[in-house]
Amino acid sequence: MNGRSMREEAARHRATLPRMARLLAPLVVFLLLGAGWQWVALNLKSILPPLGSVFLELAARPGFYLLHLWTTLSAALSGFAIGAAIGVILAILIVHFQVLRAAILPVALMLNVTPVVAISPALIVAFGFNAVPHIIVAAISAFLPMLINALTGLRATDRDAEDVFRSLAASRIETLWHLRLPSSLPHLFAGARLAIAAAMVGSIVSEFMGTSKGIGATIIMATTYLNLPQMWVAIFISALTSLGLIGLVDLAERAVIRWA
Amino acid sequence: MINHTDTSAAPPHRDNPTGIDRPQGLVGDGDKAGQIVVAGVSKVYGRGPDRVEALGGIDLTIPQGEFVTLFGPSGCGKSTLLRILAGLEEKTAGDVTLFGQTPEVAARAKNIAWVPQSSALLPWLSIRDNVLLSRRLNRRAERDPASASRPEDVDRVLRELGLAAFAAHRPAALSGGMRQRAAIARGFVQGAPLMLMDEPFSALDELTRDTLRLRLLDVWQRYRKTVVFVTHSAAEAVLLSDRVVVMTPRPGRIEAVVEIDLPRPRGRDLADSPGFEAKVREVRDRLRRGWEGEE
Repeated sequence: MNGRSMREEAARHRATLPRMARLLAPLVVFLLLGAGWQWVALNLKSILPPLGSVFLELAARPGFYLLHLWTTLSAALSGFAIGAAIGVILAILIVHFQVLRAAILPVALMLNVTPVVAISPALIVAFGFNAVPHIIVAAISAFLPMLINALTGLRATDRDAEDVFRSLAASRIETLWHLRLPSSLPHLFAGARLAIAAAMVGSIVSEFMGTSKGIGATIIMATTYLNLPQMWVAIFISALTSLGLIGLVDLAERAVIRWA
Repeated sequence: MINHTDTSAAPPHRDNPTGIDRPQGLVGDGDKAGQIVVAGVSKVYGRGPDRVEALGGIDLTIPQGEFVTLFGPSGCGKSTLLRILAGLEEKTAGDVTLFGQTPEVAARAKNIAWVPQSSALLPWLSIRDNVLLSRRLNRRAERDPASASRPEDVDRVLRELGLAAFAAHRPAALSGGMRQRAAIARGFVQGAPLMLMDEPFSALDELTRDTLRLRLLDVWQRYRKTVVFVTHSAAEAVLLSDRVVVMTPRPGRIEAVVEIDLPRPRGRDLADSPGFEAKVREVRDRLRRGWEGEE
Protein backbone atom coordinates (compact mmCIF):
# COMPACT_ATOMS: atom_id res chain seq x y z
CA MET A 1 0.00 0.00 0.00
CA ASN A 2 1.56 3.32 -0.95
CA GLY A 3 1.44 6.48 1.11
CA ARG A 4 -1.48 7.95 -0.76
CA SER A 5 -3.71 4.93 -0.31
CA MET A 6 -2.65 4.76 3.34
CA ARG A 7 -3.75 8.36 3.76
CA GLU A 8 -7.02 7.64 1.94
CA GLU A 9 -7.57 4.67 4.22
CA ALA A 10 -6.84 6.88 7.22
CA ALA A 11 -9.30 9.49 5.91
CA ARG A 12 -12.03 6.83 5.52
CA HIS A 13 -11.18 5.66 9.01
CA ARG A 14 -11.64 9.18 10.37
CA ALA A 15 -14.93 9.53 8.57
CA THR A 16 -16.49 6.37 9.96
CA LEU A 17 -15.11 6.06 13.53
CA PRO A 18 -16.17 8.32 16.41
CA ARG A 19 -13.38 10.50 17.80
CA MET A 20 -13.19 8.68 21.11
CA ALA A 21 -12.88 5.28 19.41
CA ARG A 22 -10.12 6.65 17.20
CA LEU A 23 -8.14 7.72 20.23
CA LEU A 24 -8.85 4.64 22.30
CA ALA A 25 -8.23 1.94 19.68
CA PRO A 26 -4.44 2.37 19.37
CA LEU A 27 -4.17 3.00 23.12
CA VAL A 28 -5.84 -0.33 23.84
CA VAL A 29 -3.51 -2.10 21.39
CA PHE A 30 -0.46 -0.49 23.01
CA LEU A 31 -1.68 -1.42 26.48
CA LEU A 32 -2.24 -5.03 25.41
CA LEU A 33 1.19 -5.17 23.79
CA GLY A 34 2.72 -3.62 26.93
CA ALA A 35 0.99 -6.15 29.14
CA GLY A 36 2.16 -9.01 26.93
CA TRP A 37 5.66 -7.59 26.99
CA GLN A 38 5.67 -7.35 30.79
CA TRP A 39 4.42 -10.92 31.12
CA VAL A 40 7.24 -12.20 28.90
CA ALA A 41 9.82 -10.00 30.70
CA LEU A 42 8.80 -11.36 34.13
CA ASN A 43 8.53 -15.00 33.10
CA LEU A 44 11.25 -15.32 30.41
CA LYS A 45 13.89 -12.89 31.62
CA SER A 46 16.47 -13.61 28.91
CA ILE A 47 14.10 -12.62 26.09
CA LEU A 48 12.79 -9.17 27.03
CA PRO A 49 13.71 -6.68 29.75
CA PRO A 50 10.93 -5.09 31.83
CA LEU A 51 9.67 -1.90 30.19
CA GLY A 52 10.58 0.08 33.31
CA SER A 53 14.25 -0.85 32.94
CA VAL A 54 14.18 0.27 29.31
CA PHE A 55 12.80 3.70 30.31
CA LEU A 56 15.30 3.96 33.17
CA GLU A 57 18.16 3.16 30.80
CA LEU A 58 17.09 5.96 28.43
CA ALA A 59 16.53 8.41 31.29
CA ALA A 60 19.98 7.62 32.71
CA ARG A 61 21.94 8.27 29.50
CA PRO A 62 19.94 10.44 27.07
CA GLY A 63 23.07 12.20 25.79
CA PHE A 64 24.72 8.88 24.96
CA TYR A 65 21.78 7.79 22.81
CA LEU A 66 21.36 11.21 21.25
CA LEU A 67 24.98 11.17 20.12
CA HIS A 68 24.66 7.72 18.54
CA LEU A 69 21.34 8.65 16.99
CA TRP A 70 22.93 11.70 15.43
CA THR A 71 25.63 9.51 13.82
CA THR A 72 23.02 7.12 12.39
CA LEU A 73 20.67 9.88 11.35
CA SER A 74 23.29 11.93 9.55
CA ALA A 75 24.43 8.86 7.57
CA ALA A 76 20.80 7.89 6.83
CA LEU A 77 19.83 11.39 5.70
CA SER A 78 22.98 11.84 3.58
CA GLY A 79 22.44 8.39 2.05
CA PHE A 80 18.76 9.14 1.46
CA ALA A 81 19.58 12.43 -0.28
CA ILE A 82 22.18 10.78 -2.52
CA GLY A 83 20.14 7.62 -3.24
CA ALA A 84 16.91 9.51 -3.87
CA ALA A 85 18.62 12.03 -6.15
CA ILE A 86 20.29 9.26 -8.17
CA GLY A 87 16.97 7.36 -8.32
CA VAL A 88 15.05 10.36 -9.64
CA ILE A 89 17.76 11.36 -12.13
CA LEU A 90 18.02 7.81 -13.48
CA ALA A 91 14.22 7.57 -13.73
CA ILE A 92 14.18 10.79 -15.77
CA LEU A 93 16.90 9.43 -18.06
CA ILE A 94 15.13 6.06 -18.45
CA VAL A 95 11.83 7.74 -19.34
CA HIS A 96 13.54 9.78 -22.05
CA PHE A 97 15.99 7.17 -23.34
CA GLN A 98 14.32 3.75 -23.41
CA VAL A 99 17.64 1.99 -24.08
CA LEU A 100 18.76 2.94 -20.56
CA ARG A 101 15.91 0.93 -19.06
CA ALA A 102 17.44 -2.33 -20.22
CA ALA A 103 20.88 -1.15 -19.11
CA ILE A 104 20.07 0.23 -15.67
CA LEU A 105 17.17 -1.75 -14.22
CA PRO A 106 18.97 -5.14 -13.96
CA VAL A 107 21.90 -3.49 -12.16
CA ALA A 108 19.53 -1.64 -9.87
CA LEU A 109 17.65 -4.83 -9.05
CA MET A 110 20.89 -6.71 -8.42
CA LEU A 111 22.03 -4.00 -6.01
CA ASN A 112 18.71 -4.20 -4.25
CA VAL A 113 18.70 -7.96 -3.74
CA THR A 114 22.31 -8.01 -2.52
CA PRO A 115 22.16 -7.97 1.33
CA VAL A 116 23.62 -4.77 2.77
CA VAL A 117 25.38 -6.81 5.48
CA ALA A 118 27.32 -8.45 2.65
CA ILE A 119 28.23 -5.13 1.03
CA SER A 120 29.28 -3.35 4.24
CA PRO A 121 32.61 -5.17 4.82
CA ALA A 122 33.63 -4.58 1.20
CA LEU A 123 32.84 -0.89 1.55
CA ILE A 124 34.81 -0.65 4.83
CA VAL A 125 37.80 -2.21 3.08
CA ALA A 126 37.41 0.22 0.20
CA PHE A 127 36.69 3.44 2.10
CA GLY A 128 38.05 2.87 5.60
CA PHE A 129 36.62 3.25 9.09
CA ASN A 130 34.62 6.43 8.58
CA ALA A 131 31.10 7.52 7.69
CA VAL A 132 31.44 6.90 3.95
CA PRO A 133 30.57 3.14 3.92
CA HIS A 134 27.47 3.79 6.06
CA ILE A 135 26.32 6.62 3.80
CA ILE A 136 26.83 4.41 0.73
CA VAL A 137 24.81 1.56 2.25
CA ALA A 138 22.02 3.98 3.16
CA ALA A 139 22.13 5.39 -0.39
CA ILE A 140 21.93 1.91 -1.94
CA SER A 141 18.96 1.09 0.31
CA ALA A 142 17.13 4.31 -0.63
CA PHE A 143 17.90 4.21 -4.32
CA LEU A 144 15.60 1.49 -5.67
CA PRO A 145 12.31 2.48 -3.98
CA MET A 146 12.90 5.99 -5.26
CA LEU A 147 13.80 4.82 -8.78
CA ILE A 148 10.76 2.55 -9.10
CA ASN A 149 8.32 5.13 -7.74
CA ALA A 150 9.82 7.94 -9.81
CA LEU A 151 9.57 5.76 -12.93
CA THR A 152 5.93 4.99 -12.21
CA GLY A 153 5.17 8.64 -11.51
CA LEU A 154 6.96 10.02 -14.55
CA ARG A 155 5.03 7.58 -16.74
CA ALA A 156 1.69 8.25 -15.07
CA THR A 157 1.12 11.57 -16.83
CA ASP A 158 -2.30 12.27 -18.29
CA ARG A 159 -2.32 11.23 -21.96
CA ASP A 160 -4.58 14.11 -22.99
CA ALA A 161 -2.27 16.60 -21.26
CA GLU A 162 0.68 15.02 -23.07
CA ASP A 163 -1.17 15.57 -26.35
CA VAL A 164 -1.71 19.23 -25.47
CA PHE A 165 2.02 19.59 -24.81
CA ARG A 166 2.90 17.79 -28.04
CA SER A 167 0.47 19.90 -30.05
CA LEU A 168 2.33 22.96 -28.73
CA ALA A 169 5.66 21.38 -29.67
CA ALA A 170 6.84 21.72 -26.06
CA SER A 171 10.46 20.64 -25.63
CA ARG A 172 11.40 17.57 -23.57
CA ILE A 173 12.65 19.80 -20.78
CA GLU A 174 9.43 21.85 -20.80
CA THR A 175 7.34 18.67 -20.72
CA LEU A 176 9.46 17.31 -17.88
CA TRP A 177 9.36 20.50 -15.85
CA HIS A 178 5.76 21.60 -16.46
CA LEU A 179 4.04 18.20 -16.76
CA ARG A 180 5.94 15.05 -15.83
CA LEU A 181 7.61 16.18 -12.61
CA PRO A 182 4.56 17.87 -11.06
CA SER A 183 2.37 14.90 -12.10
CA SER A 184 4.78 12.48 -10.50
CA LEU A 185 5.00 14.28 -7.13
CA PRO A 186 2.56 11.94 -5.31
CA HIS A 187 4.64 8.97 -6.50
CA LEU A 188 7.88 10.74 -5.58
CA PHE A 189 6.64 11.33 -2.05
CA ALA A 190 5.46 7.70 -1.78
CA GLY A 191 8.96 6.67 -2.89
CA ALA A 192 10.54 9.08 -0.41
CA ARG A 193 8.56 7.52 2.45
CA LEU A 194 9.86 4.05 1.57
CA ALA A 195 13.35 5.32 0.75
CA ILE A 196 13.88 7.23 3.99
CA ALA A 197 12.84 4.22 6.08
CA ALA A 198 15.10 1.99 3.96
CA ALA A 199 18.01 4.44 4.37
CA MET A 200 17.55 4.35 8.16
CA VAL A 201 17.60 0.52 8.14
CA GLY A 202 20.63 0.50 5.82
CA SER A 203 22.48 2.94 8.02
CA ILE A 204 21.78 0.93 11.21
CA VAL A 205 22.68 -2.43 9.63
CA SER A 206 25.93 -1.03 8.22
CA GLU A 207 26.88 0.13 11.74
CA PHE A 208 26.85 -3.49 12.92
CA MET A 209 30.50 -3.64 11.88
CA GLY A 210 33.48 -1.38 11.46
CA THR A 211 32.37 1.34 13.88
CA SER A 212 31.68 2.00 17.54
CA LYS A 213 29.31 4.89 16.78
CA GLY A 214 25.67 4.88 15.80
CA ILE A 215 22.50 3.07 16.83
CA GLY A 216 23.64 -0.11 15.02
CA ALA A 217 26.91 -0.15 16.95
CA THR A 218 24.97 0.44 20.19
CA ILE A 219 22.86 -2.63 19.49
CA ILE A 220 25.98 -4.75 18.83
CA MET A 221 27.60 -3.42 22.04
CA ALA A 222 24.47 -4.30 24.01
CA THR A 223 24.50 -7.79 22.50
CA THR A 224 28.12 -8.29 23.52
CA TYR A 225 27.40 -7.30 27.13
CA LEU A 226 23.94 -8.89 27.18
CA ASN A 227 22.56 -5.47 28.08
CA LEU A 228 18.92 -5.95 27.11
CA PRO A 229 17.65 -2.52 28.25
CA GLN A 230 20.33 -0.77 26.12
CA MET A 231 19.47 -2.96 23.13
CA TRP A 232 15.77 -2.14 23.36
CA VAL A 233 16.31 1.56 23.89
CA ALA A 234 18.35 1.55 20.65
CA ILE A 235 15.66 -0.45 18.84
CA PHE A 236 12.86 1.84 20.04
CA ILE A 237 14.86 4.93 19.12
CA SER A 238 15.47 3.65 15.60
CA ALA A 239 11.78 2.75 15.11
CA LEU A 240 10.54 6.08 16.46
CA THR A 241 13.09 7.98 14.38
CA SER A 242 11.96 6.18 11.21
CA LEU A 243 8.34 7.00 12.05
CA GLY A 244 9.29 10.62 12.64
CA LEU A 245 11.11 10.80 9.29
CA ILE A 246 8.11 9.31 7.49
CA GLY A 247 5.94 11.87 9.28
CA LEU A 248 8.21 14.65 8.03
CA VAL A 249 7.86 13.38 4.44
CA ASP A 250 4.06 13.38 4.97
CA LEU A 251 4.20 16.99 6.14
CA ALA A 252 6.36 17.98 3.18
CA GLU A 253 3.91 16.27 0.82
CA ARG A 254 0.98 18.12 2.32
CA ALA A 255 2.86 21.40 2.02
CA VAL A 256 3.84 20.79 -1.62
CA ILE A 257 0.82 18.98 -3.06
CA ARG A 258 -1.97 21.40 -2.30
CA TRP A 259 -4.14 20.54 -5.28
CA ALA A 260 -5.14 16.96 -4.34
CA MET B 1 -14.98 15.87 -50.63
CA ILE B 2 -15.34 19.41 -49.41
CA ASN B 3 -13.74 21.61 -51.98
CA HIS B 4 -14.22 25.29 -51.74
CA THR B 5 -12.75 27.21 -54.60
CA ASP B 6 -14.43 30.47 -53.68
CA THR B 7 -13.59 31.72 -50.23
CA SER B 8 -16.02 34.59 -50.59
CA ALA B 9 -18.59 31.96 -49.70
CA ALA B 10 -16.81 31.39 -46.42
CA PRO B 11 -18.20 33.07 -43.31
CA PRO B 12 -16.97 36.61 -42.67
CA HIS B 13 -13.80 36.77 -40.58
CA ARG B 14 -13.00 39.18 -37.80
CA ASP B 15 -9.65 39.50 -39.50
CA ASN B 16 -7.49 37.05 -41.38
CA PRO B 17 -7.90 34.01 -39.15
CA THR B 18 -4.82 32.24 -40.43
CA GLY B 19 -2.73 35.30 -39.80
CA ILE B 20 -0.63 34.18 -42.75
CA ASP B 21 -0.19 37.08 -45.13
CA ARG B 22 -0.75 36.17 -48.72
CA PRO B 23 -1.42 38.14 -51.89
CA GLN B 24 -5.08 38.75 -52.68
CA GLY B 25 -6.63 36.89 -55.59
CA LEU B 26 -4.59 33.77 -55.11
CA VAL B 27 -7.26 31.95 -53.18
CA GLY B 28 -8.47 29.02 -55.19
CA ASP B 29 -8.11 25.33 -55.67
CA GLY B 30 -4.36 25.53 -55.72
CA ASP B 31 -4.03 27.89 -52.78
CA LYS B 32 -3.11 25.66 -49.91
CA ALA B 33 -2.24 28.65 -47.73
CA GLY B 34 -5.90 29.46 -47.21
CA GLN B 35 -7.22 26.04 -46.42
CA ILE B 36 -6.66 22.68 -44.82
CA VAL B 37 -5.97 20.05 -47.45
CA VAL B 38 -6.09 16.34 -46.76
CA ALA B 39 -5.18 14.32 -49.85
CA GLY B 40 -5.32 10.53 -50.01
CA VAL B 41 -4.55 10.10 -46.32
CA SER B 42 -4.62 6.56 -45.02
CA LYS B 43 -3.61 5.03 -41.73
CA VAL B 44 -2.77 1.40 -41.10
CA TYR B 45 -2.02 -0.08 -37.68
CA GLY B 46 -0.12 -3.35 -37.25
CA ARG B 47 1.12 -5.87 -39.78
CA GLY B 48 0.15 -9.26 -41.13
CA PRO B 49 -2.89 -10.74 -39.40
CA ASP B 50 -2.95 -7.79 -36.94
CA ARG B 51 -3.21 -5.26 -39.76
CA VAL B 52 -6.05 -2.79 -39.26
CA GLU B 53 -6.82 -0.13 -41.82
CA ALA B 54 -8.10 2.75 -39.70
CA LEU B 55 -8.36 5.27 -42.54
CA GLY B 56 -8.57 4.55 -46.22
CA GLY B 57 -7.79 7.32 -48.68
CA ILE B 58 -9.33 10.42 -47.11
CA ASP B 59 -9.66 13.52 -49.29
CA LEU B 60 -10.89 16.68 -47.62
CA THR B 61 -10.48 20.40 -48.09
CA ILE B 62 -11.57 22.87 -45.42
CA PRO B 63 -11.45 26.62 -46.06
CA GLN B 64 -10.27 28.92 -43.31
CA GLY B 65 -12.80 30.11 -40.77
CA GLU B 66 -15.13 27.14 -41.21
CA PHE B 67 -16.55 25.00 -38.46
CA VAL B 68 -16.37 21.44 -39.74
CA THR B 69 -17.43 18.38 -37.79
CA LEU B 70 -16.23 14.84 -38.32
CA PHE B 71 -19.21 12.70 -37.43
CA GLY B 72 -19.50 8.95 -37.25
CA PRO B 73 -19.67 5.91 -34.98
CA SER B 74 -16.82 4.70 -32.80
CA GLY B 75 -14.02 3.19 -34.85
CA CYS B 76 -14.68 5.18 -38.02
CA GLY B 77 -11.32 6.91 -37.74
CA LYS B 78 -12.53 10.43 -36.99
CA SER B 79 -10.26 10.86 -33.98
CA THR B 80 -7.38 9.28 -35.91
CA LEU B 81 -7.87 11.78 -38.71
CA LEU B 82 -7.97 14.64 -36.21
CA ARG B 83 -4.77 13.40 -34.55
CA ILE B 84 -3.08 13.21 -37.94
CA LEU B 85 -4.12 16.82 -38.59
CA ALA B 86 -2.58 17.80 -35.24
CA GLY B 87 0.64 15.95 -36.01
CA LEU B 88 0.03 13.69 -32.99
CA GLU B 89 -0.09 10.63 -35.20
CA GLU B 90 1.82 9.62 -38.32
CA LYS B 91 -0.16 8.95 -41.47
CA THR B 92 0.67 5.85 -43.49
CA ALA B 93 0.16 7.55 -46.85
CA GLY B 94 -1.09 10.81 -48.31
CA ASP B 95 -0.54 14.49 -47.67
CA VAL B 96 -1.78 16.96 -45.10
CA THR B 97 -1.27 20.70 -45.24
CA LEU B 98 -2.68 23.17 -42.75
CA PHE B 99 -2.79 26.58 -44.39
CA GLY B 100 0.23 25.61 -46.45
CA GLN B 101 2.19 24.06 -43.58
CA THR B 102 2.77 20.45 -42.62
CA PRO B 103 1.25 19.54 -39.22
CA GLU B 104 4.76 19.35 -37.75
CA VAL B 105 5.67 22.87 -38.92
CA ALA B 106 2.27 24.18 -37.80
CA ALA B 107 2.71 22.61 -34.34
CA ARG B 108 6.24 24.03 -34.01
CA ALA B 109 4.82 27.46 -34.81
CA LYS B 110 1.96 26.95 -32.31
CA ASN B 111 -0.59 27.27 -35.10
CA ILE B 112 -2.72 24.41 -33.76
CA ALA B 113 -4.86 24.55 -30.62
CA TRP B 114 -5.69 21.03 -29.47
CA VAL B 115 -8.74 20.50 -27.24
CA PRO B 116 -8.80 16.87 -26.07
CA GLN B 117 -11.62 14.69 -24.83
CA SER B 118 -10.86 15.36 -21.18
CA SER B 119 -10.06 18.89 -20.11
CA ALA B 120 -6.41 17.91 -19.51
CA LEU B 121 -5.99 20.85 -17.15
CA LEU B 122 -2.92 20.76 -14.93
CA PRO B 123 -4.29 20.32 -11.39
CA TRP B 124 -1.46 22.26 -9.75
CA LEU B 125 -2.12 25.42 -11.76
CA SER B 126 -4.93 27.92 -11.38
CA ILE B 127 -7.52 28.14 -14.16
CA ARG B 128 -5.87 31.34 -15.38
CA ASP B 129 -2.42 29.73 -15.52
CA ASN B 130 -3.87 26.69 -17.26
CA VAL B 131 -5.51 28.89 -19.87
CA LEU B 132 -2.17 30.66 -20.35
CA LEU B 133 -0.28 27.36 -20.78
CA SER B 134 0.50 27.95 -24.44
CA ARG B 135 2.46 31.09 -23.51
CA ARG B 136 4.68 29.19 -21.08
CA LEU B 137 5.66 26.55 -23.59
CA ASN B 138 7.65 26.65 -26.82
CA ARG B 139 8.51 30.35 -26.59
CA ARG B 140 10.77 30.06 -29.60
CA ALA B 141 7.57 29.85 -31.69
CA GLU B 142 7.08 33.60 -31.07
CA ARG B 143 10.16 34.24 -33.24
CA ASP B 144 9.15 31.62 -35.81
CA PRO B 145 8.22 33.29 -39.12
CA ALA B 146 5.79 30.41 -39.69
CA SER B 147 3.81 31.40 -36.59
CA ALA B 148 0.33 32.71 -37.30
CA SER B 149 -0.94 32.67 -33.72
CA ARG B 150 -2.35 35.90 -32.35
CA PRO B 151 -2.73 35.28 -28.59
CA GLU B 152 -6.05 36.54 -27.27
CA ASP B 153 -6.63 38.50 -24.08
CA VAL B 154 -6.97 35.92 -21.33
CA ASP B 155 -9.34 37.97 -19.18
CA ARG B 156 -11.70 38.60 -22.06
CA VAL B 157 -11.83 34.93 -23.07
CA LEU B 158 -12.38 33.86 -19.45
CA ARG B 159 -15.18 36.42 -19.17
CA GLU B 160 -16.78 35.24 -22.41
CA LEU B 161 -16.74 31.65 -21.21
CA GLY B 162 -18.12 32.57 -17.80
CA LEU B 163 -14.93 31.72 -15.93
CA ALA B 164 -13.73 35.15 -14.81
CA ALA B 165 -14.80 34.55 -11.20
CA PHE B 166 -12.94 31.25 -11.13
CA ALA B 167 -9.64 32.38 -12.64
CA ALA B 168 -7.73 31.90 -9.39
CA HIS B 169 -9.33 28.53 -8.57
CA ARG B 170 -7.63 25.23 -9.17
CA PRO B 171 -9.38 22.76 -11.53
CA ALA B 172 -10.40 20.44 -8.66
CA ALA B 173 -12.70 23.18 -7.37
CA LEU B 174 -14.64 23.35 -10.64
CA SER B 175 -17.39 21.20 -12.13
CA GLY B 176 -16.73 19.01 -15.18
CA GLY B 177 -18.49 21.50 -17.45
CA MET B 178 -16.45 24.41 -16.13
CA ARG B 179 -13.22 22.47 -16.56
CA GLN B 180 -14.16 21.76 -20.16
CA ARG B 181 -14.89 25.45 -20.67
CA ALA B 182 -11.43 26.20 -19.32
CA ALA B 183 -9.94 23.75 -21.83
CA ILE B 184 -11.77 25.57 -24.63
CA ALA B 185 -10.59 28.91 -23.23
CA ARG B 186 -7.01 27.58 -23.35
CA GLY B 187 -7.50 26.87 -27.04
CA PHE B 188 -8.91 30.30 -27.84
CA VAL B 189 -6.32 32.19 -25.76
CA GLN B 190 -3.56 30.47 -27.71
CA GLY B 191 -4.88 32.37 -30.71
CA ALA B 192 -3.98 29.63 -33.17
CA PRO B 193 -5.73 29.85 -36.54
CA LEU B 194 -6.82 26.21 -36.25
CA MET B 195 -8.63 24.53 -33.38
CA LEU B 196 -8.89 20.76 -33.32
CA MET B 197 -11.46 19.48 -30.84
CA ASP B 198 -11.67 15.76 -30.09
CA GLU B 199 -15.11 15.04 -28.59
CA PRO B 200 -14.62 17.70 -25.92
CA PHE B 201 -18.14 17.31 -24.51
CA SER B 202 -18.42 13.53 -24.54
CA ALA B 203 -17.84 13.08 -20.81
CA LEU B 204 -20.48 15.62 -19.79
CA ASP B 205 -24.15 15.21 -18.97
CA GLU B 206 -26.71 16.27 -21.59
CA LEU B 207 -27.72 19.53 -19.89
CA THR B 208 -24.12 20.68 -19.51
CA ARG B 209 -23.39 19.68 -23.11
CA ASP B 210 -26.30 21.81 -24.33
CA THR B 211 -25.03 24.84 -22.48
CA LEU B 212 -21.44 24.31 -23.58
CA ARG B 213 -22.34 23.90 -27.25
CA LEU B 214 -24.02 27.31 -27.19
CA ARG B 215 -21.09 28.87 -25.31
CA LEU B 216 -18.69 27.44 -27.86
CA LEU B 217 -20.79 28.75 -30.74
CA ASP B 218 -20.95 32.17 -29.13
CA VAL B 219 -17.18 32.40 -28.63
CA TRP B 220 -16.40 30.89 -32.04
CA GLN B 221 -18.68 33.47 -33.65
CA ARG B 222 -16.43 36.19 -32.19
CA TYR B 223 -13.05 34.69 -33.04
CA ARG B 224 -13.90 32.74 -36.20
CA LYS B 225 -11.09 30.22 -35.98
CA THR B 226 -11.11 27.27 -38.31
CA VAL B 227 -12.48 24.45 -36.18
CA VAL B 228 -12.40 20.73 -36.87
CA PHE B 229 -14.62 19.09 -34.28
CA VAL B 230 -15.15 15.40 -33.64
CA THR B 231 -18.41 14.03 -32.30
CA HIS B 232 -20.70 11.03 -32.50
CA SER B 233 -23.79 13.14 -31.87
CA ALA B 234 -25.68 14.11 -35.03
CA ALA B 235 -27.54 16.93 -33.25
CA GLU B 236 -24.28 18.38 -31.91
CA ALA B 237 -22.70 18.19 -35.36
CA VAL B 238 -25.63 20.00 -37.03
CA LEU B 239 -25.93 22.66 -34.33
CA LEU B 240 -22.27 23.64 -34.45
CA SER B 241 -21.12 23.15 -38.01
CA ASP B 242 -20.96 24.74 -41.42
CA ARG B 243 -20.44 21.23 -42.77
CA VAL B 244 -20.69 17.76 -41.37
CA VAL B 245 -18.31 15.13 -42.67
CA VAL B 246 -20.08 11.78 -42.25
CA MET B 247 -17.60 8.93 -41.77
CA THR B 248 -18.12 5.18 -41.78
CA PRO B 249 -15.81 2.46 -40.47
CA ARG B 250 -13.77 -0.48 -41.84
CA PRO B 251 -11.79 1.30 -43.13
CA GLY B 252 -12.59 4.83 -41.99
CA ARG B 253 -13.75 6.80 -45.00
CA ILE B 254 -15.89 9.80 -45.85
CA GLU B 255 -19.40 8.70 -46.74
CA ALA B 256 -20.84 12.15 -47.35
CA VAL B 257 -20.42 15.81 -46.62
CA VAL B 258 -23.60 17.50 -45.49
CA GLU B 259 -23.76 21.27 -45.82
CA ILE B 260 -25.51 22.89 -42.85
CA ASP B 261 -27.01 26.04 -44.27
CA LEU B 262 -28.94 26.95 -41.12
CA PRO B 263 -28.72 30.63 -40.19
CA ARG B 264 -26.18 31.94 -37.70
CA PRO B 265 -26.00 32.94 -34.92
CA ARG B 266 -27.58 29.76 -33.70
CA GLY B 267 -29.30 29.52 -30.36
CA ARG B 268 -31.36 27.17 -28.25
CA ASP B 269 -34.45 27.77 -30.41
CA LEU B 270 -32.76 26.33 -33.47
CA ALA B 271 -32.94 22.79 -32.07
CA ASP B 272 -36.76 22.96 -32.21
CA SER B 273 -36.92 24.18 -35.82
CA PRO B 274 -38.02 21.83 -38.63
CA GLY B 275 -34.90 22.76 -40.62
CA PHE B 276 -32.65 21.57 -37.80
CA GLU B 277 -34.50 18.29 -37.43
CA ALA B 278 -34.37 17.72 -41.18
CA LYS B 279 -30.59 18.23 -41.19
CA VAL B 280 -30.11 15.88 -38.23
CA ARG B 281 -32.21 13.30 -40.08
CA GLU B 282 -30.19 13.81 -43.24
CA VAL B 283 -26.89 13.36 -41.40
CA ARG B 284 -28.17 10.20 -39.69
CA ASP B 285 -29.58 8.84 -42.96
CA ARG B 286 -26.26 9.36 -44.74
CA LEU B 287 -24.49 7.53 -41.95
CA ARG B 288 -27.04 4.68 -41.94
CA ARG B 289 -26.89 4.31 -45.72
CA GLY B 290 -23.12 4.16 -45.70
CA TRP B 291 -23.05 1.74 -42.82
CA GLU B 292 -25.74 -0.56 -44.22
CA GLY B 293 -23.94 -0.59 -47.55
CA GLU B 294 -20.86 -1.67 -45.67
CA GLU B 295 -22.67 -4.43 -43.74
